[in-house]
Amino acid sequence: MSRIGVFICHCGENISRTVDVERVAAQVGKLPGVAFSTDYKYMCSDPGQNLLKKAIQEQKLSHIVVAACSPRMHERTFRKAVEAAGLNPFLCEMANIREHCSWVHEDKEEATAKAIEIVGMMVERVKKNRVLPTITVPVTKRSLVIGGGIAGIQAALDIADCGHEVILVEREPSIGGHMAQLSETFPTLDCSQCIMTPKMVDVANHPKITLYTWSEVELVEGYIGNFQVTIRRKARSVDEDKCTGCGVCMEKCPIKKIPNKFDCNLGMRPAIYVPFPQAVPNTPVIDRANCTKFKTGKCGLCQKVCGPGAIDYEQEDTLVVEPVGAIVVATGFDLYTIDEKPKGSAIKGYGEFGHGKIPDVIDGMTFERLASASGPTGGKILRPSDGKEPKQIVFIQCIGSRAREKGISYCSKVCCMYTAKHTMLYHHKVHDGQAYVFFMDARTPGKNYDEFWRRSIEEEEAVYIRGMVSRLYQKGDKIVVMGSDIAVGVQVEIEADMVVLATAVQPQKGADSLAQKLGISYDKYNFYSEAHAKLRPVECATAGIYLAGACQGPKDIPDAVSQASAAAAKVMTLFAKDKLEREPIVARVKEGGCVGCFACKKVCAYGAVEEKEIRDRQGNLIKVVAYVNPGVCGGCGTCQATCPSKSVELDGYTDEQIVAMIEAL
Amino acid sequence: MPTKNSLDYAYYPGCSLHASAGEYDLSTRKLFKALGIGLTEVPDWFCCGATPAHNVDELLSLSLCAKNLELAEQVEGDLAVACAACFSRLKFTQHTLEENSTKRKQVETAIDAPVKLDGKVKHLLEILARDLGLERLAASVKKPLSGLKVACYYGCLLTRPPDVPNLDCIEAPTIMEDVLGAVGAETVAWSHRMECCGANFTLSRPGVVIQLTNAILESAKAAGADCVMVGCPLCHGNLDIRQKEIEGVYKTTYNMPVFYLTQLVGLAAGLSADQLGLDALIVNPLPLLKEKHLL
Ligand SMILES: Cc1cc2nc3c(=O)[nH]c(=O)nc-3n(C[C@H](O)[C@H](O)[C@H](O)COP(=O)(O)OP(=O)(O)OC[C@H]3O[C@@H](n4cnc5c(N)ncnc54)[C@H](O)[C@@H]3O)c2cc1C
Ligand code: SF4
Ligand code: SF4
Repeated sequence: MSRIGVFICHCGENISRTVDVERVAAQVGKLPGVAFSTDYKYMCSDPGQNLLKKAIQEQKLSHIVVAACSPRMHERTFRKAVEAAGLNPFLCEMANIREHCSWVHEDKEEATAKAIEIVGMMVERVKKNRVLPTITVPVTKRSLVIGGGIAGIQAALDIADCGHEVILVEREPSIGGHMAQLSETFPTLDCSQCIMTPKMVDVANHPKITLYTWSEVELVEGYIGNFQVTIRRKARSVDEDKCTGCGVCMEKCPIKKIPNKFDCNLGMRPAIYVPFPQAVPNTPVIDRANCTKFKTGKCGLCQKVCGPGAIDYEQEDTLVVEPVGAIVVATGFDLYTIDEKPKGSAIKGYGEFGHGKIPDVIDGMTFERLASASGPTGGKILRPSDGKEPKQIVFIQCIGSRAREKGISYCSKVCCMYTAKHTMLYHHKVHDGQAYVFFMDARTPGKNYDEFWRRSIEEEEAVYIRGMVSRLYQKGDKIVVMGSDIAVGVQVEIEADMVVLATAVQPQKGADSLAQKLGISYDKYNFYSEAHAKLRPVECATAGIYLAGACQGPKDIPDAVSQASAAAAKVMTLFAKDKLEREPIVARVKEGGCVGCFACKKVCAYGAVEEKEIRDRQGNLIKVVAYVNPGVCGGCGTCQATCPSKSVELDGYTDEQIVAMIEAL
Repeated sequence: MPTKNSLDYAYYPGCSLHASAGEYDLSTRKLFKALGIGLTEVPDWFCCGATPAHNVDELLSLSLCAKNLELAEQVEGDLAVACAACFSRLKFTQHTLEENSTKRKQVETAIDAPVKLDGKVKHLLEILARDLGLERLAASVKKPLSGLKVACYYGCLLTRPPDVPNLDCIEAPTIMEDVLGAVGAETVAWSHRMECCGANFTLSRPGVVIQLTNAILESAKAAGADCVMVGCPLCHGNLDIRQKEIEGVYKTTYNMPVFYLTQLVGLAAGLSADQLGLDALIVNPLPLLKEKHLL
């Protein structure tokens, strides 16, 4: 006979305001099997947990129901407490009388009646709970970091400095990400290259870091502590081991006029190239689509001039498989390209701003390249159309961001600050110029951020106009900016020489397909989702995968670096143990009933179902049945719902438990 | 058995088309006939309330439109609308009553009938570009408008606000250019195609209208257009009827004919100047059309 203990929480007043908790405790106390029932103000607090532990020991309780908030919030807390008191943690269940009851009802009578029913259901359920042994799995103490922007670099360095091997995979020919493109950085205006390149070099030289640039993750198998990752190393056409980075090939390459993506297409590069001089690794890549040798079979000049004989036109993509225990995703962001109306996307485009049509309407990143000392103009602010210095420049914030009607409702977070920075850089470089900024409001919550923004107005003479712009058009060599100044209530028109649009920060293209490979969730914009917005901000819901940087949401450098170090700390926590404990909520096949149809194998999103041969003593094959690998099973229960012969069940969520709950109603 | 023509519409001309914009009505009927598109005028239709009603009394405005929508149910087919302002009001009514059940009930009481919202309201442009389709439209061309440079003027109501008319992209639509492209005309890229002409201020604040329309004509001219095309009798009034006055105020000459979309498409379909009511236009288009060998 079970001796069930029921503990009703007030949650301060969150529950007790609408549910008569004492009455619930009294009523539930009468249910068969319930040996003890009480209520308490904060069950999750230290005294609350002690109350629970003491009752288990004194009352010799066999099963526990805590009626409080959602199990997503505190199931772990209470199961730990129960375990500390000597019971198997899986003999403890939570009844959710907060989210499912007190928060959504007003009438106290009705809410109390409902709470009694909810708790009653869990009492019947817990009677059917079985002791589940904790599952342990070994941990491979190597990690994969995807994306070599500042976030990925920081995470890789932190983990490697702790003595663990790191595989860093970057899609582009060089690491560095967007920060490598920036000129100077808010809020201190230090030069981005100067603070970034030493870290890039550290990555290249670190004995514990294996760097795969020009590479992408192809396949991810396995589970926390035991992933197998297949990485596609795209053919570089240059042997990384032989190349000395002398650069002769790039000098001699006759194709010189390919727009360089790194310079936002303002500068040109050859067909064999490194994206920027400080690239890591400093090994060029042949852009096969534009190389004469690949297009017509002729040329081959770079091969002739390369001293160490590093050029290899025959090179093919290779696949490498790396076993790792943890993965940090740091794939960063991209800027919204407003000239193309993305096909099939809910986002509607900004054709009215002429981006892509009017050459002197540029985006913020292009301005960074203009302002950068190592950029295509050597740091001079010049118009792309005619190379003249713009004397009137208009910055427009929130292009794409915070525009529900156009499909993006979030704030891109960095634009207010980098626009303020742009006005300063402009003022430093064009002394007789005037900068205007159209803005909805200035969002500068960060250390020394508001002071920085104020400086752009008070010392650097930027004119801020509160209001949005409706349209831009070219008139002669000017761009007419039509907008409103809502502070004064008038329409304004400015004839500008150049316009800079602060376009929205979006996840990298292909972020969704990478998420699908990794089995992690993402929001409707393709930003990756953290396990809990407040309490688990760097972990994915999928165990063993962590997030760093702008792939999770718009972020500036300090935030991206902090999150990267936090993700690294999580990886190190995981690696601190040799074996990993995981929840035993996994599916089990009842081999007797299984007919081997493998419907479960087809639906399992985790690839946990294997085929197992059943043989008699003589070794004759009797049948092939399904087997669920407990290390891989995600505990989703899809197989249980699918199995036509009811031969697979999820521990902790058996049909028996569910039926007991329904019957209690 | 004869198959039912899927291109049959109920037709809501709106008051302007029975008055100052008679040529829009005439050219619409002739063009649609030539293209094999059926139009049956909604029996007993009346004013939709554009442009003043919604500024004065929302319930009145919604009820006027809802009643017209109810009347339109008597005729088979989607509702074809020529005037951008009527189109906007009818779409607005559908949208508002869909979203707001309180207003819906009030309107049902006012018109003493259940409100039906499933009927589709379509601007003529949609019928030409989507229902008939650009390919069939191109196939119907007898006299391509080659050499004619047209500034397509959308005005403010055809695409805005978001989620209401759903005609095309709100700020950068192409449907007019698509239609004209199909009949061989050249369309210019210009800055003021989505600006407001001042529509309902034409009588109360002519000063404002003159300023706004001047900017529109100036921009069309700067872009090298020979003429302007519109899909709205109110825009037409401001740009065409007031053009002389604007020229006088700004001491300039535009001499820029302003056509209804059905007139230009009709020309390409081989209809005559009479059938299209070209003589009703204030800025005489005949010299331009002769020069381009289109008449
Ligand atoms: C115009 C502008 C100015 C800015 N100025 C400042 C400033 O002054 N100060 C400041 O603090 N912040 C600034 N920021 C913000 C700053 O750029 C970001 O905070 C920072 O770059 C985020 O770093 P990240 O590593 O998360 O992403 P990223 O820099 O985007 O790096 C992501 C990396 O992952 C790689 N990658 C993407 N997908 C894959 C894949 N599938 N496989 C492998 N690799 C992949 C990318 O190639 C890239 O190298 C600015 C941003 C903009 C747009
Ligand atoms: S490929 Fe050869 S030529 Fe080019 S940088 Fe490397 S060593 Fe120099
Ligand atoms: S679905 Fe059921 S019967 Fe079919 S293989 Fe899986 S466990 Fe066996």
